[in-house]
Amino acid sequence: MIILNKIISFYYREYKLNLSGFQDILTNIIFFFVSIFIFIFSIGPDKEKISTLSIGIVWTLLLLSSTLSLRKFYQDDFENGSLLIMHLNGFSFGFIAILKTFSHFLFVQVPFLLSIPIACIILNIANDKIIYLVASFAVGSLTLSCLGSISSSMNLMNQRNFLLGSVIVMIFSIPIIIFSVSIINIEESFNSLISILFGILLIVFAINPWASGLCLKLSIENN
Amino acid sequence: MKFLVNPSKFNELADYIFKPVLILSILLFALGLLFSFYLSPDDYQQGSTVRIMYVHVPSAWLALLTYAIMTLYSIAALAFRIPFGFIFNTAVAPIGAVFTLICVISGSLWGKPMWGTWWVWDARLTSVAILFIIYLIIIFMNLSIENRNVREKVVAIFILVGSVNLPIVKFSVDWWNTLHQPATISKLSKPSIDPSMMTPLIIMTLAFISIGLSIAILRIKTEIISRKSNLG
Amino acid sequence: MILVKDLSIERSNKKIFENINLAVGSGKIILLKGKNGSGKTTLLKAMLNLIEPSAGAIYWKGKLLKKNLYNFFNNVTYIADKTSSLGKLSVQENINIWKRIFLSNISDSQIENILSTLKLDTYLFQKVNSLSFGEIKKLEFLRLILENKKIWILDEPLSNLDSESIEVLGQTFEDHRSKEGSIIFSSHQKSEINVSEEILL
Repeated sequence: MIILNKIISFYYREYKLNLSGFQDILTNIIFFFVSIFIFIFSIGPDKEKISTLSIGIVWTLLLLSSTLSLRKFYQDDFENGSLLIMHLNGFSFGFIAILKTFSHFLFVQVPFLLSIPIACIILNIANDKIIYLVASFAVGSLTLSCLGSISSSMNLMNQRNFLLGSVIVMIFSIPIIIFSVSIINIEESFNSLISILFGILLIVFAINPWASGLCLKLSIENN
Repeated sequence: MKFLVNPSKFNELADYIFKPVLILSILLFALGLLFSFYLSPDDYQQGSTVRIMYVHVPSAWLALLTYAIMTLYSIAALAFRIPFGFIFNTAVAPIGAVFTLICVISGSLWGKPMWGTWWVWDARLTSVAILFIIYLIIIFMNLSIENRNVREKVVAIFILVGSVNLPIVKFSVDWWNTLHQPATISKLSKPSIDPSMMTPLIIMTLAFISIGLSIAILRIKTEIISRKSNLG
Repeated sequence: MILVKDLSIERSNKKIFENINLAVGSGKIILLKGKNGSGKTTLLKAMLNLIEPSAGAIYWKGKLLKKNLYNFFNNVTYIADKTSSLGKLSVQENINIWKRIFLSNISDSQIENILSTLKLDTYLFQKVNSLSFGEIKKLEFLRLILENKKIWILDEPLSNLDSESIEVLGQTFEDHRSKEGSIIFSSHQKSEINVSEEILL
């Protein structure tokens, strides 16, 4: 019961933190929409062209804008020592990584999930496809959160080259993009493709506590 | 076999074999280039451009081999606490990157006359390009994380995570329908390549291995020295 | 309770210290003294199992610390030289978060008392970022009371504090000692705090 209480208080803390920085999350979403506009302006308002490209555009921009918030993932907590406090309070580093991943999913990716339907309406995506897109993003975004956890914990001690973290996330998210974009284009095989996405999610989810936990431990040891 | 894990034993062996390997690589390159330019036949379909294969295929093999060995050394270094694995990873990553770059460039030079385009977005080419980017990330991580204790372990973890790309590169031609031809040489079946082309290919592969080995010896020795004197 | 035996630590081939022996019993206040870079923080971190020692071992209640880690963490409060309060939130929100995280059962009136002795009660609704460094540090000491644990490990608690706050801190230490608690802290400056043992690094 104590551990449950501690987990709840962890999320209370995350909620308070994210509430005070809520404009950051909103800015992320604004970035997403503005870049959709930019995309439309750059390929022209031709309806047919947009409808063939739209799913790819939405996914690419979702990926780009969710990597923008990676800096907040561990960096703040690492710098003010909260990470160490969490550890001393009875969480192993791997467990902190899992908790943080879910918190990133809840507070950064779920707002995107809600804004996808609006983006779909702007881009003239057919109504029945929106459900597929949202489903694929729901699975894919948790995978992105896990990848973000791995890459940002790797870059905790990297003061010079922060962009490297985003590059790592983008490299490993290529399979997610491939499978989730083909979900929408080939509707008949929805079940098999979403199973593949789930498989990827489970693999990354299994690697995440090990890899990020080790990196967090290393950074705290050597700080 | 202690020289595979022990820096001082490696140094001893390296002093003996560095010069022979270097000379061997020069000889093999001379012989291999002679074979591949003059003593091997033209392909009946591809004509003279088939000779690009003698650079392209060995470099591709070595790019994969280097990464595979780096993966093994990362496991050894992280799980069995063998610091030589970290030394190896730091020293060898740029060599693998160069091999991958040679492979990509020679491949696109080969693709222009054969497929009519420098680059196609098929699974094999894309996965090799990703392999190159992964090599670059390893190098950049080595350059940008200042604390050595953190750096070497984080890079090893990244190498392990990035090794998922390796089977994708290898089997992409079998899993997906690609423009790139499937492997012609494998252990399980008789190679579908003519012996007259096989000879220069083998010689060039040996030449690539020996030049890679001699550069690796030099770089590992420098890395050992810089670690001993705490130069970062 | 904590026993440090023949501890040596090396970092990147450089010896930081060798063969440290140390016993932290209940009702003791131990001061680690030493120059900058003599390894005070490193020793404290090693006692929390954050740094791998190159030789020697640390025991907690007769067992190896590593095998008994989370039991040990349930009994220890660590205050680093960095402050862990969240700058974007107000003092009160920070206290609420700490109370929840550490499952603390200290009453609000008690906290108010402490805040007024630390002279922080006027800042209750201000953002932590707007406080001065010494005040943030004093706020951090609230964790000692909130966590209510037996062993206190403090890294450089006296730096950036005025003499009045040091007096309050010494009083708190004295109270904790009388409750059979134990304290280990590092400092490079002289202080009026009564200590039962001094160790020079």
